[in-house]
Amino acid sequence: MKPPQKPDGQSKMENAISYLLIGGVLLCLVLLVAGMVLFWHQQGGVSVSQDQSVFVRGHDFFSFIYDQVTGRGVQSLPLRLITLGVIVLLLTPYVRVILSAVFFTREKNFKYMMITIFVLIILTISLTLH
Amino acid sequence: MLICTLVGLLGSLTGLGGASIITPLLVLAGVPVKEAIASAMVAIIATSSGSASSYVKARIANVNIAMFLEMFTITGAIIGATITTVISPVLLYFFFAAFLSTSFLRIRHIRKEFVPSEKQDRVSRWLNLQGSYYDEAHQKTVTYKANHALWGGAGMFIAGIAAGMLGIGAGAFKVTVHENILHLPPKVSSTTSNFIIGMTALAAVSVYLFSGLLNLTLMAPIAAGTTVGAIVGGRLLNRIHDRWLQVLFFAIVIYLIITMLYKGIISL
Repeated sequence: MKPPQKPDGQSKMENAISYLLIGGVLLCLVLLVAGMVLFWHQQGGVSVSQDQSVFVRGHDFFSFIYDQVTGRGVQSLPLRLITLGVIVLLLTPYVRVILSAVFFTREKNFKYMMITIFVLIILTISLTLH
Repeated sequence: MLICTLVGLLGSLTGLGGASIITPLLVLAGVPVKEAIASAMVAIIATSSGSASSYVKARIANVNIAMFLEMFTITGAIIGATITTVISPVLLYFFFAAFLSTSFLRIRHIRKEFVPSEKQDRVSRWLNLQGSYYDEAHQKTVTYKANHALWGGAGMFIAGIAAGMLGIGAGAFKVTVHENILHLPPKVSSTTSNFIIGMTALAAVSVYLFSGLLNLTLMAPIAAGTTVGAIVGGRLLNRIHDRWLQVLFFAIVIYLIITMLYKGIISL
């Protein structure tokens, strides 16, 4: 049976969030699995390593993503694929908040537009501070 | 990876991130504790996004309620992370255990069906904090109204502080606030918690990223396993009776209370 009907704009937003979340995790999964398979092929096993090259580090969330995307981060292909998978995973909830803000703005739902923009600002500050 | 798939499944069904289960298992396997916690935070995001996609589409997770509560929990998380150096987290372990114990006030309702709140406070009404979803297990549409919005917000603020201070997702705390304060149906409570918890964990991951504690060879199987488990859990939840979900939740809450008390006592 179909779920109960809601106002059109709300349904569209919920569908868009749902597709964004599943798209994000599936892309992440593909990148992680591809990275693990290549890692296994190169190293002959997939054991947890304590080598410094397998640790990722960034001054803050956004500069970390910038470094990885512009090729200044991890160099080996398997670890690069895994890093990209983790980036996609981390970005998914962040983009979800942006998407909600866009939908609430388009729907002229000012109460929720303000709430979502507040959440986005606080989240961005917390990600920039560390 | 198989264990993480199971954790992702449990986390998606109960609204708990699963970090409290993964962390001790990784430590037992010889992973340094800080690395284990950092990887568990990544697992929470995988559990949250993997399962919430189904919950939002089925209208079980309430996006409006989640957005309102995220405002409090993210503010709490940033304050919690800031005051960690000023206040000892020891008291928070005991507070966390005591608050989780309030879940048992509702244990007598496990055998009863959810009764929606008739009344709704002014703020909840103004914010339209209500909804309905089709429950496949009970084969009926469940309509509900959230109540005590500001008290719920205060509860989520404390959950955020706990998450920021202790480096956890505080999923059990959030589900307890949703059920006991806001009077949301069990499935709405756990799925809305799942939706929110990914964002709280994201703020925590950022800290671990700065500290250089994210190990790619550890995160890859954990994130892949929990993602698969969460996607499966997201498709199972609506077919399971509330009663069994609550029994599962209480079992994990008992384990968490013992863990929190143990951590609190050894930190004294």
